[in-house]
Amino acid sequence: VTGQAFIALLPELISTGFLILVLMAGVFSDSNAGVAAGLAAIGTLAMFGSAAVLLATGFSGSYFGGGFVVDDFALYFKLIVAGSAFFAVLAAARWSGRTGDAPEYLTLIISVVLGSMLLVSMRDLFGIFLAIELATIPSYAMVAFDRSRRESAEGGMKYLITGVIASSVLLYGIVLIYGVSGSALLQDVAGAFSGAITPVAVLGLVLMISGFAFKLSAAPFHFWTPDAYQGAPTSAAAFLSVGPKAATFAVLLRILLEGMPDAAPTWTAVMAFLAIITMFVGNLFALRQRNVRRMLAYSSVAHSGYILAAFAAIQGGGVAFAVQAVLIYSAAYAVMNMGAFLVIDLVGEDTKSYNGLVRTNPGVAASMALFMAALVGIPPLSGFFGKLWIIIAGAQSGSVLVYIVVGALVVNTVISVPYYFGIIRNMIFEEPTTDTARTKGSGGVRFSVYVLAVLTTLFGLLIIPLSVLVGASGLA
Amino acid sequence: VITTITILIPLLGAIVMLLLPDEERLLRYAALGISAVPLALALYIYFAFGDDLGVAALSQDVIWIQSLNIGYRVGLGGLGFGMFFLSTFLTVIAVLASSDVQRNLKQYFAAIFVAEVGMLGVFAAQDLIMFYIFFEVTLIPMYLLVGVWGDENRRQAAIKFFIYTFLGSTVMLAGFLAFGILADTYSMDALGGGGGLSRTAQVAVAAPILFGLLVKVPAVPLHSWLLDVYVSSPTSTNVLLSGVLPKLGTYGLIAVVLPLLPQGVEPFLPYVAAFGVINIIYGAFVAFLQPDLKALVAYSSIGTLGFILLGVASGNAVGLNGAVFQQVAHGLYSALLFILVGVIAARTGTRRIEDLGGLAARMPWAGGLLALGALAAMGLPGLAVFISEFMSIMGVYETFPVQGALAALGIIFSAMYLLYMLARVIFGPIERPAYEEIGDAGPVEMASVVPLAVLLVVLGVFPALLMSIQRPAVDAVITVIGGS
Repeated sequence: VTGQAFIALLPELISTGFLILVLMAGVFSDSNAGVAAGLAAIGTLAMFGSAAVLLATGFSGSYFGGGFVVDDFALYFKLIVAGSAFFAVLAAARWSGRTGDAPEYLTLIISVVLGSMLLVSMRDLFGIFLAIELATIPSYAMVAFDRSRRESAEGGMKYLITGVIASSVLLYGIVLIYGVSGSALLQDVAGAFSGAITPVAVLGLVLMISGFAFKLSAAPFHFWTPDAYQGAPTSAAAFLSVGPKAATFAVLLRILLEGMPDAAPTWTAVMAFLAIITMFVGNLFALRQRNVRRMLAYSSVAHSGYILAAFAAIQGGGVAFAVQAVLIYSAAYAVMNMGAFLVIDLVGEDTKSYNGLVRTNPGVAASMALFMAALVGIPPLSGFFGKLWIIIAGAQSGSVLVYIVVGALVVNTVISVPYYFGIIRNMIFEEPTTDTARTKGSGGVRFSVYVLAVLTTLFGLLIIPLSVLVGASGLA
Repeated sequence: VITTITILIPLLGAIVMLLLPDEERLLRYAALGISAVPLALALYIYFAFGDDLGVAALSQDVIWIQSLNIGYRVGLGGLGFGMFFLSTFLTVIAVLASSDVQRNLKQYFAAIFVAEVGMLGVFAAQDLIMFYIFFEVTLIPMYLLVGVWGDENRRQAAIKFFIYTFLGSTVMLAGFLAFGILADTYSMDALGGGGGLSRTAQVAVAAPILFGLLVKVPAVPLHSWLLDVYVSSPTSTNVLLSGVLPKLGTYGLIAVVLPLLPQGVEPFLPYVAAFGVINIIYGAFVAFLQPDLKALVAYSSIGTLGFILLGVASGNAVGLNGAVFQQVAHGLYSALLFILVGVIAARTGTRRIEDLGGLAARMPWAGGLLALGALAAMGLPGLAVFISEFMSIMGVYETFPVQGALAALGIIFSAMYLLYMLARVIFGPIERPAYEEIGDAGPVEMASVVPLAVLLVVLGVFPALLMSIQRPAVDAVITVIGGS
């Protein structure tokens, strides 16, 4: 059994190992940031590879008294986390090397990865809380890491304060649920949420969802998002908006499906309202932004709303498709949003700096156009499939409230066209400015952008089959 | 497999265009060569499989997403083949007629080829999701063609075009998804006759699909995106924009809504016929008032699209044959007129009708072909448009006499404005001394318009060339909807 557990923990053990290695690289070779970057890149690839091997061999099992589980679902999200971390490392390498803090920054990335990978495998409410904190606390430092910009410190501070409040709310909810059920294991919690649900349990559920809503930047708990993403180093914003976020969605899905399946009518209704508010708030505020980082931050709020819409559809005949929708949307969002954020590193954060990009830098312009079109949801790009599955799940749920949610999703898709296409318009129709002509960023960022553009385009062929396969096996 | 190859060659062509060096002559010849390949394949299909398009060599059925029963399903049918052929043909014409585009040539041709992929895909799709995906594939390249290479007003026109048609197609997708979920498949073959849906369900599904398709056509009053787009576009984009794009909508009506939702569409048919009449009469009146020659042609093009709607609404074999035929005939004549407007505007430097006049004396060929196009538009016997307009009216008169009679009246209006336009543009005394110097259409321009004129005449005299292909498919549709 012990040997099995080592294999099950392979991705986490690898990341712990590389965490120490990268940190040590900083201590022993202060002058050479390249060593740390190389180690971190190899490490994230090794984590990705180990999770992929476990998934390919169909490895599954439950360890540590049922508190830690390895199933297809968890491994799929580990792939997303490790994959997005790999691109974040590539993007961060040169930037953080310049400031001389490369090993520290890369260590932070790897510890977020470790926390997120543990998170998706946790089946114990306190374990979940610890894993969330392990993923979140380094991310405060990541956001505030850019000491050359005041916004970075400001964003980090706001993120820290709201994050700590969110954690306390989440913990309070978890404690109440623990008090009602007498156990923190999800299968025991399920007992307390069957039959008539006590008011204390409902309070615990609502507080816990509120805490998650903070972490997922769902409205009305989203205030920190624009400031944090605007202030953060690009690689941090790119990674935090996709990797840990996907993991948080995954564990929320696990808690709801394994821990409180009988309370589905309650939490789907909560999710439906959250989804509607979040979609509208995200898109309407994104429309007014002149800064691409802020725009993408509000866009990430809107996309959280879309994924929450899938949560609302977990009822009636929509359950299987809704779970698949979360899997597909998380991967789709990871490739297109990561790409869009990394382009900021190459071009700039003012919408004007995109003017005429197609003439000065056609490859990057074409990639950005693909990411923007994918974020709108134009077929056959990645975002289209995410929305497709959500609509299908919603249509099969058989609930009027969910039909309204799906209607709101369609309306929001159209609302979002102007701001995403504003970038495309600037790139193509405006005259290049002096700003556009300046090329920034490293080859690593450029490489990441192109790879992500290819993944966004071929999403339907490369990633959908895997997502559907994993979705079919469901939660173990 | 042949169908798939034909669809994918333009995509390959787009990549090749982007890789070629930036030399104008080379790019133009390469684009012409690439665009000729799908045309040759379409001709091959016509001659080799013309009597039975259902053969296995032409269709493919690969399951893509098992749990949803979505598949890569393509194949050619009698309903779509005419437009499939016309799309390849008009792409060649558009490449020939692209002399007014000077900047960023290779990107221009690449965008045209990507649009061609979408067009061919729609006319070959046998799966609703494939239909939708190909439908949207045309969107971005057309947005770019208008927005990058159009005139001063191009940016607004392009974004307007995008938002309108994207809204329309999103609503259409919602209809498709509801349909597929209820029937548990997206295969158009399996969905024939309604896929087992009740009448109420069919009506509920048909409504959003109809809305999306009618925006694409566009049916008046959903047409407000159109004028800016047509007027702002370069000539060769106009060829595709008026020749093929509206047919994505009408083809959807003919090949998706009618055979797959026969009971659902039935309550809407009188309104579709009414839309057709409104298009014809509104198009004719507004065309009459246009000071700009290109705007006049644009409204004329909207007007004659109305006959397709009429034929769709008729629900009988005569009318539906007319509608399918009109898709092709309309594409031929509107492409012809748009190119000639471009030729005239390039020579005289204006498109204002009142500044033109007496052009026949200086440019007999272009003027003569403009007259031919205008005569085709008003439905002169012997030209292809006559056949289909006549059949559409005949067909719809049986079902909806009032709409049929009004549509016939519309033909008279269209004769009025077209003849009036001809009188002011090509006949009469030469308006300005400067026009004494201008020459006739050059050889490349002639090469782009003469094939169109020839096909208009050939199909007008031998309509059976196309009718024989479409008739069995039309009969099958009629059997499904229970008409005569």
